[in-house]
Amino acid sequence: MTTKATARSARRRRSRFALGLGIVAVPLVLALLGPLFTGDPGPRSASFTLGGGHWLGTDFVGRDVWRQVLHGGRTVVLTALAATALAYLVALPVGLVSALTHLRRLEDVLMRPLDVLLAVPSLLLILLVASVFAPGAAGLALLVALVNVPDAARIVRAAAGEVAARPAVEALRMQGETWWRIAVGYVGRSSLRTLAADAGIRLTGVLYLVSTAAFLGVGVAPDAADWAVMVDRNRTGLLVQPWAVVVPALLIVALTTGTNLLFDAALEKTPRTKGRRP
Amino acid sequence: MNAGVRVRTGGLRSFVARRLLLGAAQTVAVVLLVFALTEALPGDAAVALAGDQPDPARIAAIREAMDLDRPAYERLADWAAGLTHGDFGTSLASGRPVSGYIADGFGPSLLLASLTLALLVPLGFGLGVLAARHEGRLVDRLVSGVTLAVYAVPEFALGVLLVTVLALKLAWLPPTAVGYGTDLLAHPAALVLPVLVLLSRPVCSLSRLVRAGMVDALASPYAAHARRYGVPGARVRYAHALPNALAPAAQQLARTVDWLLCGVIVVEALFVIPGLGTVLLNAVAERDVPVVQGLAVVFGVLTVVLNLGADVVAYRLTPRAGVAA
Amino acid sequence: MRNSTDPVAEIRDLRVEIDGRAIVDGVRLRVRPGKVTALVGASGSGKTTTGLALLGEYPPGATVTGEVLRAGDAPAGYVPQHPAAVLNPARRVSALLDDLARPQVRHLPRSERRGAARELVLRALADAQLPDGEVLLRRHPHQLSGGQQQRVVLAQALLLGARFVVADEPTTGQDALTKSRIVQQLAAVAARGIAVVLLSHDLDVVRALADEVLVMRDGRVVESGPVRRLWSAPRHEWTRRLLDERRPVPEGGTSPDAGPPVLEVRDLVAAHGRSTVLRVPRITLRAGECLAVVGRSGSGKTTLARCLAGLHRDHRGEILLDGTALPRSLRHRDRARLAAVQYVFQDARAAFDEHRAMLGQVARTAVRLRGVDEHTAVREASAMLGRLGLAGDLAHRLPGELSGGELQRAALARALLARPRILVCDEITSGLDTVTRRALLDLLAGLLGERDDLSLVLVTHDLDTARLADRIAVLDAGDLVEQGPAQQVLTAPRHPFTVSLLEATAHLSSGNRSRAGT
Repeated sequence: MTTKATARSARRRRSRFALGLGIVAVPLVLALLGPLFTGDPGPRSASFTLGGGHWLGTDFVGRDVWRQVLHGGRTVVLTALAATALAYLVALPVGLVSALTHLRRLEDVLMRPLDVLLAVPSLLLILLVASVFAPGAAGLALLVALVNVPDAARIVRAAAGEVAARPAVEALRMQGETWWRIAVGYVGRSSLRTLAADAGIRLTGVLYLVSTAAFLGVGVAPDAADWAVMVDRNRTGLLVQPWAVVVPALLIVALTTGTNLLFDAALEKTPRTKGRRP
Repeated sequence: MNAGVRVRTGGLRSFVARRLLLGAAQTVAVVLLVFALTEALPGDAAVALAGDQPDPARIAAIREAMDLDRPAYERLADWAAGLTHGDFGTSLASGRPVSGYIADGFGPSLLLASLTLALLVPLGFGLGVLAARHEGRLVDRLVSGVTLAVYAVPEFALGVLLVTVLALKLAWLPPTAVGYGTDLLAHPAALVLPVLVLLSRPVCSLSRLVRAGMVDALASPYAAHARRYGVPGARVRYAHALPNALAPAAQQLARTVDWLLCGVIVVEALFVIPGLGTVLLNAVAERDVPVVQGLAVVFGVLTVVLNLGADVVAYRLTPRAGVAA
Repeated sequence: MRNSTDPVAEIRDLRVEIDGRAIVDGVRLRVRPGKVTALVGASGSGKTTTGLALLGEYPPGATVTGEVLRAGDAPAGYVPQHPAAVLNPARRVSALLDDLARPQVRHLPRSERRGAARELVLRALADAQLPDGEVLLRRHPHQLSGGQQQRVVLAQALLLGARFVVADEPTTGQDALTKSRIVQQLAAVAARGIAVVLLSHDLDVVRALADEVLVMRDGRVVESGPVRRLWSAPRHEWTRRLLDERRPVPEGGTSPDAGPPVLEVRDLVAAHGRSTVLRVPRITLRAGECLAVVGRSGSGKTTLARCLAGLHRDHRGEILLDGTALPRSLRHRDRARLAAVQYVFQDARAAFDEHRAMLGQVARTAVRLRGVDEHTAVREASAMLGRLGLAGDLAHRLPGELSGGELQRAALARALLARPRILVCDEITSGLDTVTRRALLDLLAGLLGERDDLSLVLVTHDLDTARLADRIAVLDAGDLVEQGPAQQVLTAPRHPFTVSLLEATAHLSSGNRSRAGT
């Protein structure tokens, strides 16, 4: 790779990163800071009206859409972040241990049940649970984390397994290093890049699942201030008052697309600039 | 999914055997899981299921319908035995057999899924090959950018936006399938938007994978060697590079089954199509546990079978490197 | 008519620059039919860039001046170091060859093309010494042996009607028997009137094959001439140095017979999964002694080394250190016993953590195995690295910023810091160029001389390297076929396998092209 080509690809990457950041910033700022800037709910007006002091009109029960928009992002974002973190909290130790263990049986005990769980479609599992319990936001986070554990654990296992097979691990063992130092200090650290890339992909997947579940009415109250719920409930007034649907839908698109672009640009493999000495 | 691919020395037959075993285990696990979830209800299941209307008559009816007085293992044995010959139990809400619900919803869902799959493969491969052919140029950046952006968007958000623009503002297509019943083939216009929305995510992921596989293969020493020896460009692309991109694409198709299922549920809700997804959502809303269980088993087993097929195909297509002893 | 000695390809004043740095500078070269032209030099000397330039290929982003001429656009063949890399893993051998045969039968009627192409393919396979072509055609590349893969690549060149073939390091890392087979194959190609351009740092192979030699250094040709003249009367100082590195490795002294053995292997049977890969009834090693374990790839020599180090647990039998059994697995060896047997890996680059500076990694040995405090350990590591030629700034670099030879020295330092009784070196010189390899062997010889409590187990495919040892054990297909004092094994081998290995080595270094490999 020549300097010119490297410079060009680096420039493109920076501009894509900026684009992703720009796209994700709008919904993220609204979601996290929105609730701080809303006043009293005020009196309810008629359903699906435009104007009348309501910047984006009113929704299906006559609430101010702009106010709902300001309130409606926080649950999606926080539930998704919590679910991703939770999934890794389980997947990391399971994947690392099964990659590093020499006991085939332990590996089987850890990984085989996950293979089975992988066979169940994620949204189906969520709906199945929802039909019996009525999970809240925390329950939804737990569920989404659960359906993500098998795949995440397999990614961790594969990434760590590749590193664990290198002679460097045997060299560390010859030096008498402890299991922890090898597992965390070398294997974990060397797999970090792969795992960060996976975390990015996983976060977008989780955002998808959390918002889709909310759209289908899982984990949220039917009149909750939630972008996905807004899209669902205000659909009936789409002809007269499209803003109540289009604005939250656009925010969800921006959130998921922006996150994806951001992680893709941030974690793109850079061509090695530091050459090896001959 | 590539469970069991770890040991690949045994050849195709032993791989298929091991994969079948796993598939059987997964099927059993799905059945057990579906049953266990309803068993996990805290306290009295009948009271919990009665939900908003806890009058004693309804609770007694539920207890009666689900045989809740008998021990769990007996009910499991009965239910599982029933499944093997197509008896999924009866609905709590209507008293109709669950298999009737499944038969009603099967047509529209199958139509949606098969239309999507039929378009997905040529579209995904076409876009992937197109982008790889023009790697780094405008076409590639356009295709890669759009597929990356759309890849992550939930179907419902994309769907309502398309409906707003294409159906309501421009009035090119009907906004929903309301009024067309289950005979959707007679109204192809009503199918355009649902299939378009269903395609969005799988096409993006498939074409990105095909592109990546092709780009890798085209940059490989063996492609360089073929070009060096004067093999024409088209032949290098389609006979040398493309076969190496097939295996990951087949793997991805298997994962697409999961997405397609999620997508079908959402799209049916969005466009009011009376398929299995709608049946499932209604049952979930009414806490009609036998119907949910029956549908979950159908969906689960379908996923297991399709995954199994894709795994075997991918195994056949995976090129092996290395040297024989 | 063209004269039969007119060059089929020629390079005039080639200069290849990347980012302003000249990789190849002012190279002139003529490739004549039926002759073998060798480009000799250490890695990074520009020989691969020159060889690829003959094929009309340049590194991406290179600025090229000068001329590369090919007579009548003569087709050129290419044999890379790893033939598997240029064989598409997703296609059968038949498809790989058919692609090249098709254009040659285009003038025939459609119905005859298929058969004619098949005939061309089979003839090319036979010419490349693959007689059972029909069977091979149905296979995928991964189902062929390394030798077969290389011959398929040659068959491609023959099928193409190549007027010359560029062979890039075809013998690197191979044992003497494989080497002589490759030499004989390339000689056969030259005998067909095809020119061969050999890029190599293996001087034995160059001497056996080449007619003309160009010695390269830092992108320039420092000397060129017929192989005999160059060998007998090198003019340039660098050529002299290169040839000088071929002087025999310092031979090990006589075995110290006194004292009990430090290490003893008894009835060792090792397995990989269900198949047994190694059977060693008895091997002993005394203090201060160097034992070479010699064999081809797949002979089980690395498995033996790994058993000793506790890295291969799947074995029966006993390994005794000072008369007491060593636990099979590293995990059950205490600090002292871990330190006593240390191991140096073949792939030094892969044996280091690429994120941490060398000094810190080396120092950990002293901290963990000898209980030294951090500060002292770093000082000791620094001193040890300095002694092995990695002083000052080099020690503070990341592994990615060091060369292969430097990494291997660092790996030695890391093992030596444990003050081991036994140092197991697994092919540590393979993949290094002659000069670097030689320096590393001198270093090992020096270590042995300095410390009489250190014993060395040297695993190698190369009999020349084995000269360093006091005693040699020969492995073939998992069996210990012969062991004894180095002098005796090298001069009066008893087992037929050892004899064939020695003959192949001797023929190679005598520079005899026709007899090599018989």
